[in-house]
Amino acid sequence: MNKVVEVENLVKRYGSLAAVDDVSFSVEEGEVFGVLGPNGAGKTTTVEMIEGLRKPDSGSIRVLGIDAFKEPERIKELIGVQLQTTSLYDRIRVKEAVDLFGGYYRQAIPTSVLLEEVSLTDKVGSYVSELSGGQRQRLALALALVNDPAVVFLDEPTTGLDPQARRGVWSTMADLRQKGKTIILTTHYMEEAEELCRRVAIMDHGKIIALDTPDALIAGAGLDSRIEINHVPEALRSVLNQADLPARVSEDGDKMLLHTKEASRVLKEITRVAAEHDVELESISVQKATLEDVFLTLTGRELRE
Amino acid sequence: MKTLARQVKLETKLFLRRRDDLFWTLAFPLFIIVLFGLIYGDMLWEDFGLRAIEYILPGIVVMALMTSGIMATASGFVEDREKGIYRRLSLTPLKRHTILGGQLIQRYIVILVQAILLLVVGGLAFDIRISGNLFLVWLVVTLGALCFLSIGFLLTGLIKSARAANGISMVVFFMLMFLGGVFFPNEMMPGFLRVFSDALPSTNLNDVFRAVMIMNTGIGEMWRELLIAGGWSVGSLVLAVRLFRWE
Repeated sequence: MNKVVEVENLVKRYGSLAAVDDVSFSVEEGEVFGVLGPNGAGKTTTVEMIEGLRKPDSGSIRVLGIDAFKEPERIKELIGVQLQTTSLYDRIRVKEAVDLFGGYYRQAIPTSVLLEEVSLTDKVGSYVSELSGGQRQRLALALALVNDPAVVFLDEPTTGLDPQARRGVWSTMADLRQKGKTIILTTHYMEEAEELCRRVAIMDHGKIIALDTPDALIAGAGLDSRIEINHVPEALRSVLNQADLPARVSEDGDKMLLHTKEASRVLKEITRVAAEHDVELESISVQKATLEDVFLTLTGRELRE
Repeated sequence: MKTLARQVKLETKLFLRRRDDLFWTLAFPLFIIVLFGLIYGDMLWEDFGLRAIEYILPGIVVMALMTSGIMATASGFVEDREKGIYRRLSLTPLKRHTILGGQLIQRYIVILVQAILLLVVGGLAFDIRISGNLFLVWLVVTLGALCFLSIGFLLTGLIKSARAANGISMVVFFMLMFLGGVFFPNEMMPGFLRVFSDALPSTNLNDVFRAVMIMNTGIGEMWRELLIAGGWSVGSLVLAVRLFRWE
């Protein structure tokens, strides 16, 4: 596999804070690579250094074999970027914007083809200021793809979108993956990373704390299932906490989370203890563990707080 | 070259779609010249041996240059910067000097259009003849463009938010207009204001422009005014370049 992006020992400091603290990873050709973490983890700073928007304090970056510090202009021709928020001139029409950006590159996909791809064909003549949030995001995506880039960077492409618009972005990304594009996706939605990414780097406090396929990350953290019990009475909570269960137990108010590889055994034990103490379990669920649970295991914090 | 031409076209299109810019740069100066033409009619200002409207027209041209050079430039650029447009463009292969070049050329074109429009309307409606050398007239308009565009871009380096840019450029514009001898001779001002007024670029450009266009004075006699206006241009330009920021 060809390495499309290679990042080594990347550091970016703001004052005494290391926003990105010695980060190294590589992205392979044709994969969707997720950079995942809570707000402020350093995801955006990391990708913006690869895109050439920010200068690292130290480290090295190669994109498609090109040194990002020596030949940034060559890289610009070959990558496409959708920023977290893309602003354009208010008084420019959708078609004009795509034509304009296409004109900046040596080669460009025809505007009509591109607008078809992001389903904006019925908005060609609209001013950017007249578009909805979801439509703006799709236009931003079209602008990121206008030069038919080999590597596409999508920074939180679905943040703030309604579920339907989010699905739309996901399907466009699936199309891109089909076409063999390499995609680097930053997100703080775990389910988005699980659904779309081949490999995921989890970031926290400027460092990569785990990097693998979603399945391997979940298995590696010793988590197969998550059992969630809501409205647990105090009595039962203390008993379960002291019981010798093959599970990692955490509490959040009157909610209990048990991560385990042996869901059946643990469930059986819970119901046994509950029956013994004459407690009715109002709400209990078993699910496959998610990246959300991996993050919780690694950091002791929930991703979304 | 092709990308530069495309940027000029883009900036022109955006300019023609911005109602506030159209109002201030084209409608407002025309309104002022017509208003003063109707107020003063054929009234003479004996001190100068001129009709009042002849005295005022060069000032209105200078005022028009300030609407493009200072107001439209400062608020437009800061607004685009605040929105992150230049940040997005920096991800494309488009060079930054092409963006800037496109804006400067487009503004200069508007400035020439403003000057021609006002001189034509002044000639047709109020019978104001340009007795001076047209080449010199063009030269002074260009000096004015350089001076006010530099001040406009200097403001973009000093001001962070678009809201502030709107307000501050407006204040600078009105100050340069009212104290710059646009509507009345600055000889009418009290002494302390007069000193201040005499130092302003608008005052000096007014005087040079009036001399060159209406009074047909040799440009050599205006060396003092030219020096002050030139000083403002060079000073603002140097500061604008030093303080310039894309983000």
